[in-house]
Amino acid sequence: MGQISARRISKRYRFRSHGRGRHPGVLNEDLRFGSRRGEFWALHEVDVEVGPGQMLGVIGPNGAGKSTLLRLIGGVGRPTSGSIRVTGRMGSLLELGSDFHPELTGRENVIMSGIIAGLTRRQVLARMDAIVEFAELKAFMDSPVRAYSSGMLLRLGFSVAIHTEPEVLLIDEVLAVGDQSFRAKCLARVEQLRGRGCAILLVTHDMTLAAQLCDKALWLNKGRVMQLGPADEVVRAFAASMDWETRSRTPVDWHAQLTTDGTELRMMENRFGSMELQVTDVRLIDGIGRRCRSLQAGERLRVEIDYRADQALPAPNFGVVIRQENNTVLFDETIPAAKVGLVTAYGPGTVALNFERLDLNSGEYHIDVGVYRHDWAYAYDYHWRAYPLTILAATEVKGAVNPPHTWEGPEPPVRGTG
Amino acid sequence: MGLRRLRVLRDLSVQLVLRDLKLRYRRTLIGLAWSFAFPIGQIVVLTFIFTLVLPTRVGKYSAFVSIGVLAWTWFQSSLVMAATSITGNRELVRHPGFPSTVLPISVVGTNLILFLMAFPAIVLVVLYDGGHPGLGTAALPLVVLVQFLLTLGISYLVASLNVSFRDTQQMVALLLLLFFFLTPIFYDPASVPTAYRALYNLNPFVVLLDGYRATLIHGGLPNFVGLGELGALGAAMVVAGHFMFRRASHNFAEEI
Repeated sequence: MGQISARRISKRYRFRSHGRGRHPGVLNEDLRFGSRRGEFWALHEVDVEVGPGQMLGVIGPNGAGKSTLLRLIGGVGRPTSGSIRVTGRMGSLLELGSDFHPELTGRENVIMSGIIAGLTRRQVLARMDAIVEFAELKAFMDSPVRAYSSGMLLRLGFSVAIHTEPEVLLIDEVLAVGDQSFRAKCLARVEQLRGRGCAILLVTHDMTLAAQLCDKALWLNKGRVMQLGPADEVVRAFAASMDWETRSRTPVDWHAQLTTDGTELRMMENRFGSMELQVTDVRLIDGIGRRCRSLQAGERLRVEIDYRADQALPAPNFGVVIRQENNTVLFDETIPAAKVGLVTAYGPGTVALNFERLDLNSGEYHIDVGVYRHDWAYAYDYHWRAYPLTILAATEVKGAVNPPHTWEGPEPPVRGTG
Repeated sequence: MGLRRLRVLRDLSVQLVLRDLKLRYRRTLIGLAWSFAFPIGQIVVLTFIFTLVLPTRVGKYSAFVSIGVLAWTWFQSSLVMAATSITGNRELVRHPGFPSTVLPISVVGTNLILFLMAFPAIVLVVLYDGGHPGLGTAALPLVVLVQFLLTLGISYLVASLNVSFRDTQQMVALLLLLFFFLTPIFYDPASVPTAYRALYNLNPFVVLLDGYRATLIHGGLPNFVGLGELGALGAAMVVAGHFMFRRASHNFAEEI
């Protein structure tokens, strides 16, 4: 039974910035007194709790501190502050096969690698057959691994790691590679370990995988916890966020643009994305088919998204968010366009979202519209709080929703409409 | 630390030594024999110079110098390899759960194995040169143990220092070269002027080499008092070196 428990861990890296072209001398540039130094926090007060049989997904853009977190928990390096407790034998699927020596044979490397992972030599030898069989490399075990393909190395590394019967497993990205059938086999094996009480930490960029496999997910950004919660919620929040990748791809010199309602879309303020695909218009349509800015509570709403792709793009993801004035998200859904028959986006087109009824309470709301690359790497075009919507409810209630409702008591019912 | 953990550490050290021996001269023509090419070359040249060119009063010179060179080679190769044992094993050190503390052990162990492999040759030279190993030779393992402790202690120090201070590697090479001459490897320590004797004798190798020579060439007993003190020093250095190493090891991952 494994357990990972890390409390308020922070990691600070110091670095020395090299001055340029100053007197070349005996002392190396980076040791000379007065060279500028800097520091950054790779992790800042992060809590991680993974119990037996649980799987925590760690997601976030590059540079978020995911790998640092994994290494610290793996005992490589020490946090600047905070405490880490790991109970149970640790296995790791990070940089698989990195401990292999190219000149040694597969078999020799398995022995070495197994002992490094915490088995005795005798235990490794006892498991050798199982390891070889799982890796499907029987014919190659006596050749030096420098002759292996990267896929073969990966298979062997994975096979050794899971045959050490880990009680705590650290996985970094590796499930994303390899051929489909081997990948499925690995996933099944990971599930099996989990069923036996293995505590698993999975770092991944594959949002679908994170949402499917993990109980909980931790979203990191620049070393800080953005969100920790049920995996599907966190994954959605991450995908919907105007993340680093999108910002970095947002062209700053793109011309500002007015929506039909008169909201000005300005890059990096309320519009983000690479612009490979542009949302050209968004129409809010009421129950009788007219463009609208306000609705009666409980009325139908159709959100039509016009787009234009300058190049052929594989099925992007389309999303709509409804927020309150204070930014609280009331509705958030993003779907792969392939699900509604859009396999390739090229040229102009329209995707629409229909609400049969929208039982929001009276108030001002804002609608975001976003289109993302098929693999969620970044957004093509995201309009943040660009489409205002006023809801008018016939009855006064507090709170966010106001569905049709009635009260009942001993007296004949009093009707209230939404 | 449980018994199982100790067993894993033992297996790991042994495996690293085997790997190193196996890999060191892989794909060379004469393989492991290269390990002995250096000391043999030194022994031949030193014997030539100090028996024919500049004859010394030391008797059984080739036995004398062989012991000195091989014991020194064990020490020297260990330190040179120890200096890069962390910095040169990035993958292993950054592997979660890998105990870096076995790396210096495996370095000193590898060179001990090479030293022991050369031993039959030393015995042959000693016998050929008219030496007579005897009962005292039984004390030899003690001398080896003391050298092992001293070497390991310094190896821990050098290995961890070199991580954040790469000049260590160069300094070690320089000091080893200087100490080759300040150690009674190819000359009789008795020729050191008495004024410098006390200082000179601080070099642990004075006692160590004397121990090897007394037991192997003359079959006598080593200087047990000197060896005892040296053994205590060696043990203390292992503890201190290991302590330093452990403290530094938290930064290994980010410094290499």
